[in-house]
Parts: sequence; structure tokens; C-alpha cells
Amino acid sequence: MLRALGFALAFCSAWEVLAQSPAQVQAPADAMALLRRIYQATEKLSYSGTFVYQQGERTETSRIDRIAAPGGDIERLEVLDGMPREIVRTRDTVRCYLPESQTVKVERRLDQRAFPGMLPEQISELARNYSISRGERVRIAGYDCEAVVLTPKDDLRYGYKLWADVNSGMLLKARTFNRKGETVEQFTFAQLTIGNVARERVRARSAAQKWRVEDAAVAPANLSRAGWTMGAELPGFRKLTEVTRHLGDARPVGQMVYSDGMVAVSVFIEPIAGRAEPVRPGLSSLGAFHIYTREVADHVVTVVGEAPAASVQRMANQVEYRRPQ
Amino acid sequence: MKAKISALMDGELEGREAAGALEALRADGEVRDSWRTYHLISDAMRDTRALSAGFGERLAARLAAEPTVLAPKWGGRALSRLGERRWQVLSAAASIAAIGFVSVAYVTQEPVAPQPLAAGAPAPQVEIVQVAPPEAANDYLLAHQTYSPRVSLQGVSMYVRPVSSESRSPRQ
Repeated sequence: MLRALGFALAFCSAWEVLAQSPAQVQAPADAMALLRRIYQATEKLSYSGTFVYQQGERTETSRIDRIAAPGGDIERLEVLDGMPREIVRTRDTVRCYLPESQTVKVERRLDQRAFPGMLPEQISELARNYSISRGERVRIAGYDCEAVVLTPKDDLRYGYKLWADVNSGMLLKARTFNRKGETVEQFTFAQLTIGNVARERVRARSAAQKWRVEDAAVAPANLSRAGWTMGAELPGFRKLTEVTRHLGDARPVGQMVYSDGMVAVSVFIEPIAGRAEPVRPGLSSLGAFHIYTREVADHVVTVVGEAPAASVQRMANQVEYRRPQ
Repeated sequence: MKAKISALMDGELEGREAAGALEALRADGEVRDSWRTYHLISDAMRDTRALSAGFGERLAARLAAEPTVLAPKWGGRALSRLGERRWQVLSAAASIAAIGFVSVAYVTQEPVAPQPLAAGAPAPQVEIVQVAPPEAANDYLLAHQTYSPRVSLQGVSMYVRPVSSESRSPRQ
């Protein structure tokens, strides 16, 4: 039965792949099918577990609980090493609790497009920028896993290897690698239980009633009408959204988000006037992220991307301002 | 680099040197600003009439859409393989595009600080300048994270990244 289902799935995927543009034909149907299963599992499964995040010298263990319910998924993350922090995410809101500074950072999404998982055609689109192939079978945290590898077709993005439970499709391990094949960052579950999760497990533990609330106050915006444009977009990246928002305490900034379907690059624009912090033009690296800062027409442009430094810098250099007519 | 850009404008650079200068133009906003400024100054001296706004962009878009080898894909490797003749065509196209940029500057009257044209001016570094992350780095990362498609793949676990190195002292 399962084999028949698997065959049917593979057949459907093969048909879909053939129906796509020539650039997408290269992705083998079984690898594509596994990738789809992972996305579905992330959206549909309830689970509790502990995972390890590795980035450079840093290793952090976190506890994660997720309840999947129609119209009301809730997830809670608690970082167990180092500075304590807790993140609770519902369908449209993310609350980040920082006990040391007694602060709650609140982030609301305007459109829920990308929040409840990716659409099947969006997953197929990944094959435009990545060669998608199957990897080996291994055991992780007691689960038999199969792997799918996304190898970038150019130098503008990183590669990814994802390991998922053979039975459920649940993602057990994810590795980001650079063009030399070196690990940029890695998530690995050390322990995982799939299935019923008690409601109290996803409630915020922080007693935050008296904490300072930093609401991002996200609002729709048209930054191009205000004069901000990109000379040329990064190949394979498309504009996802543009908003105005508050950053930290109350600094109003514009934000344009570009994505290639796998990762995103954000362009933040804020006036230089009234900034307490001096502008430091140049590139900085923060884990798997690169941040590139430059000045354009009395504004600070800060580009943040989970992509190689050259991509982030290239995007930043394309930001242009032209006074609206 | 400024001296090189000036030389490129005057058609004095060839082959690899020109490719290097064009690569710098592509990669570095500051170099591009110099390029525009130099053209603005030169046009002002010659009293050249300004073209319509957005001319450069429209021309660049038309060139990019052109299927012939006269408008090859913009890129270092493709560039170095080009023959002498195509090279001249490209160079001419770049000049026309530059006129478009200049006209934009004219029409919108953006403040353009005049820069010295001295040929012996020290060339600024083209390499990427490494700086410390902005103080608000974690706020940027958190703001960014919400829109990352990787959340669709890995859920809330992605949020371990933005606040991982947050070490601000408690507020009063």
C-alpha cells in the first residue's frame, strides 16, 4: 500500500516536473517528492523535542514544542544554553521573550502567505536555483532518515542538506554549506517525539506582564513610490514584500524582502538624521548571516541576508534613490 | 580606482584593465557615483543637453532583452572572453547608459558632490570593508527572520539564530 502510494506520489511529481520549464526538469522526481514531504510534515505535525544548533564555535541546545491544529498552530522554542530566551509563534505573531532585559519583542505578519507553509508550485520553483538530489540514508535520534541535497546552481547562495524521517517526513537535521562544502550552520535533533503535545507546553513561561513591549508595528508600504528601487535584482531573487516597521525601541525603518524560495535577503532603509549610532559602512558577518551597510541619499541602507557575503553586498549596491516626480 | 574610472571614460583603458574597472563599477556603488559625477562634470563643461528621465534604465533594459551577442550577459567571465570588436560595442553601450544616468541626475537635481578629477588621486580600495556588526544587529535579524522562507521548512527553530548572541545589559 505504502509502496503504491509512494509510486503514485513519484508519478505525480514526475508529471509536474515535466510540465515545468526546461530549467526545472533536472530535479529527480523522488528528491522533489521528499522535499515536498518535509514541507508538509513541518506544517502538519505536532512534536516535542530537543535540538542542537551549531554555528562556527557556538553550540546551543533548545527545547521545541509544536501543536498543529487547523487554523491555530502554536510553536514554542526555549533556548537552554547561555542567555535564556523564549520564542512563541502563532499563525500571525511571533513573541520573543528576553528575561535579562525584561523585554518582549512582538512581530506581527500582515500577509500570511509564507506563514502556513509553502505552496507545491513554490517548492517546484526551488529547482530553478538549486540542483535537487537524493542523499544517503542514516539514523538520527533513533529515526531512520533519508536525505535531500539542494546544491546551488551559482555562487549567489548556500547549499542545503536536509535529513527527514522516512515514515513521517519530519526534518531531523539541516545543514547549510558554502561553495567549498564547509558547514555554515547546522540544526540536529537529539531527541524527538512526534504526536500529541499538551497545550501547556506551548504557553509562554516568562512572567512578562510588567516587561517592556517592543512592537514592530508592521504596516504595508510602497517604498518604490517613495523613490527607493533596486537597479537590478539578484538573479533568482524576487521581491516578497515591502513594509514599514519599528526596529528595537522605536526607530521607524522601511524593509524590502527578496527571496529565492529557500532564503531571504532584507533591505532596511532608515534616515541618517536622528540616529544615535554612527554609520559603519561595510560588511559584517553574524553567524550564517551577512550584513552590509552603506549610505544612500542621507539614508542608511542595511542589507541582511542568509546568503554569501558577495550576494548581500551586490544587493546593497543596487539600492538606488530617485526623488519621486 | 578613480584615476582608472577617469581613464576608462576617456577610452584610455584596454583589455584586462578595462574589465577590472568595469567590474569595480558593477560591484562598488562609490565607484559608480564617481563615474556619474565625472560624466556630469564633463557634460556640464560641454553644455550637453539632458535626456529624458529613466533613459538609462530603459536603454539598459532594452539591451538586456536583446538576444544578439552584442549584449552579452553582464559578468566578469563572459566579459574576458569577448573579442576586441564586441568589447568596443559594449563600451559604447555603457557610455550611452551613462548618459542616461547623468540625465537622471540633471532632471531630479539630486545633490552631487563634485569630486576632483586629478589623475593622480589615490585609488580607493575596491575590496569589501569588514566592520563590526551594527549594534541593532539582532533587531535586524529578528525583523528579517519573520519573512525567511526557511521558517516554512524548519518552523520556530529558525528563531534560535536572531537572538543567539543578544547580550544587551538589562534596562532600568
